[in-house]
Amino acid sequence: MWRARMRSETKTAAGRHGGTPPVVQRLLRIVRRIIGAPDYQAYLEHCGTAGHPPRLTEREYVDQFFESKGKGVRCC
Amino acid sequence: MKRLASVFLWGGVSVLGAAAFGVLALSRGETVNAAWLLTAAVCTYAVGYRFYGRFLATRVFGLDDRRATPAERCNNGRDFVPTNKWVLYGHHFAAIAGAGPLVGPVLAAQFGFLPGTLWLVIGVVLGGAVQDFTILFCSLRRNGKSLGQMAKEEVNPAAGATAMLAVLFIMIILLAVLALIVVNALKASPWGLFTIACTIPIALLMGWWMKSWRPGRVGEASAVGAILLIAALVGGGVVAGHPTLGAAFTHTGPAITWMMIGYGFVASVLPVWMLLAPRDYLSTFLKITTIFVLAVAILVILPPLRMPALTPFASGGEGPVFAGKLFPFAFITIACGAISGFHALVSSGTTPKMIARESDARFIGYGGMLMESFVGVMAMIAACTLDPGVYFAMNTTPAALAQASQALSQAGFVVSPDAMHALAARMGETTLVARSGGAPSLAVGMAQIFAGATSVLGGKTLDALWYHFAIMFEALFILTTIDAGTRVGRFMLQEIVGHVWPRFAETSWYPSVIASSAVIVAGWGYFLYQGVVDPLGGINSLWPLFGISNQLLAAVALCVGTTILIKMGHARFAWVAAGPLAWLVTVTMTAGWQKVFSADPRLGFLAHAAALAGSTTPDAGRLIFYDRLNTFMALLFMAVVTVLIVTSLREWWLVLSRRKVAVVHEAPYVESAYAVGD
Repeated sequence: MWRARMRSETKTAAGRHGGTPPVVQRLLRIVRRIIGAPDYQAYLEHCGTAGHPPRLTEREYVDQFFESKGKGVRCC
Repeated sequence: MKRLASVFLWGGVSVLGAAAFGVLALSRGETVNAAWLLTAAVCTYAVGYRFYGRFLATRVFGLDDRRATPAERCNNGRDFVPTNKWVLYGHHFAAIAGAGPLVGPVLAAQFGFLPGTLWLVIGVVLGGAVQDFTILFCSLRRNGKSLGQMAKEEVNPAAGATAMLAVLFIMIILLAVLALIVVNALKASPWGLFTIACTIPIALLMGWWMKSWRPGRVGEASAVGAILLIAALVGGGVVAGHPTLGAAFTHTGPAITWMMIGYGFVASVLPVWMLLAPRDYLSTFLKITTIFVLAVAILVILPPLRMPALTPFASGGEGPVFAGKLFPFAFITIACGAISGFHALVSSGTTPKMIARESDARFIGYGGMLMESFVGVMAMIAACTLDPGVYFAMNTTPAALAQASQALSQAGFVVSPDAMHALAARMGETTLVARSGGAPSLAVGMAQIFAGATSVLGGKTLDALWYHFAIMFEALFILTTIDAGTRVGRFMLQEIVGHVWPRFAETSWYPSVIASSAVIVAGWGYFLYQGVVDPLGGINSLWPLFGISNQLLAAVALCVGTTILIKMGHARFAWVAAGPLAWLVTVTMTAGWQKVFSADPRLGFLAHAAALAGSTTPDAGRLIFYDRLNTFMALLFMAVVTVLIVTSLREWWLVLSRRKVAVVHEAPYVESAYAVGD
């Protein structure tokens, strides 16, 4: 049901990595998580698991991600 | 059978570690191979993690995988995300590792390789890793709350406010010291300055790439950034050799100071995606790669340590790099790598929001800090592979060198001007004398190790390129810390002023952004400037101040940890946090007292001010003011932590004597949906 209520931009983004082999996708996800980079696919998957449509487009998600990154501390 | 094998295995590791320590401790006069130092460190980490880390996890904290973590309960696919422990280990390590574990051991090498190494290895197992693990555990049980919030709730509101003020002041000193390292590395170095200057347009390009052109494509942007960075590194050599361009990128310390101040302000005001985030990605990639390559290079060539185990400066206290005896100054010079209060901010920041299972906290919190200590050991090796004469010539200001020349020649730590000239030419610099701050000598050590490794592998020895690569590597992530630290300081100031003027707390209101950024930058910029114009080198006064403040922040964290353990009903185990706390308070208060009241003008701020009182030098008045300001800062740090310790002691007494009901502010227990052991 929730898929029907998805915004068009989020649908496009959800299908973007369809052609990438799963191993490469996993590897990229690991690197993204280690360096603290935004991972919109993970967000979409989370929304799917939680059973609600994504509230943010990829652009909005990236904006919010960088904003919260700016509040983090880097050690000396 | 399995138990017997375990006994043999861990018995063997312990014996090997003890033997390695024996070789290090008993060597007098002969050259020791770095392999012994690495063996001693790795065996100690392994035993510490296996036994002490496990004891903390099971007996002291009672980690429970049936309990859902904040990442599981508050999962939002962005900040709160259950993450694989190996991935989170990398993320946590990238956040805690900075310039501190590299520079501190290099400076402490003036006492010889043994004291610093012992503190790095023993301090981390019993103190630093315990602090990180304890705060991570406490935050994990409190929905990822920050250190300040936990101090406010678990100790008392005054403690929370005190902790927040302490963090703000410490941040200002920290940023000044880190900026000073960059200034000392880049002054009169056109190659280094050109390379670092290029990182600004590269970061802006990356920011535009991953924000506007291809949103979120950090990998692509970082790959392009890395290629451009290498081009800038190679181009730096050409620029330095060009008569006009070389002169354009050759500047004095004060000039680079003003550039740093301007840069810090702009970086704090600009949106995160434009400069901070891309620079952060670039430096994270570079940091992880370089540390890995350095570890491999050291293992390949296993260089001999040319610095003795102990130098005469350990007991005399008249060391030319910084003044003061081994106790307490070795323990505040090496902060990050052994124990660092700043880690408590990371352990109560993003990491607790990403832990999938409680038991992962041991690997990430305790294990992550062990890896940071290992980085410190590698920095110690890099510094100690240098000829001691070269090491002291590089890290000592001309004024301090003149004072210490007799002690240096008695110890045999001499180097001819021709040899220093030849070394500078090999590294592509005009001079390497009096390049204090630790970064240039670490860069020379790293360059020699890298060059040695590439020659073993059949490559060319490109000393100058490796040297400037090492400088770029250090400066890049120091600048990242300056970006992030100025911004976090700005947020804190906005929050504090926001209590009396709510509009000021709006982080997107530009007058507030500009005013608060200006105040924070002026704060660290002022200390930076005084460090640059200080004839004794700045590092001599500012690095101990940074060490004291960082260790006092660790004392704040351990106060909070001890309070929570007592309130949890685990008072019999409170010593795990109270022990390192007692040691840190002893060390930092002794160091703070000596920095203020010592009669030696090289050591005591007030004695230095008194010595300058009758001087006719034009800068005397300003230097006296700096000494008094440093005195005020040191006393302020000591007073703030004393307040926190007294309020914590009162809280412990009230709870233990049952005059007060212990209330822990843990999040309610929710059963995890993840199968235990899955």
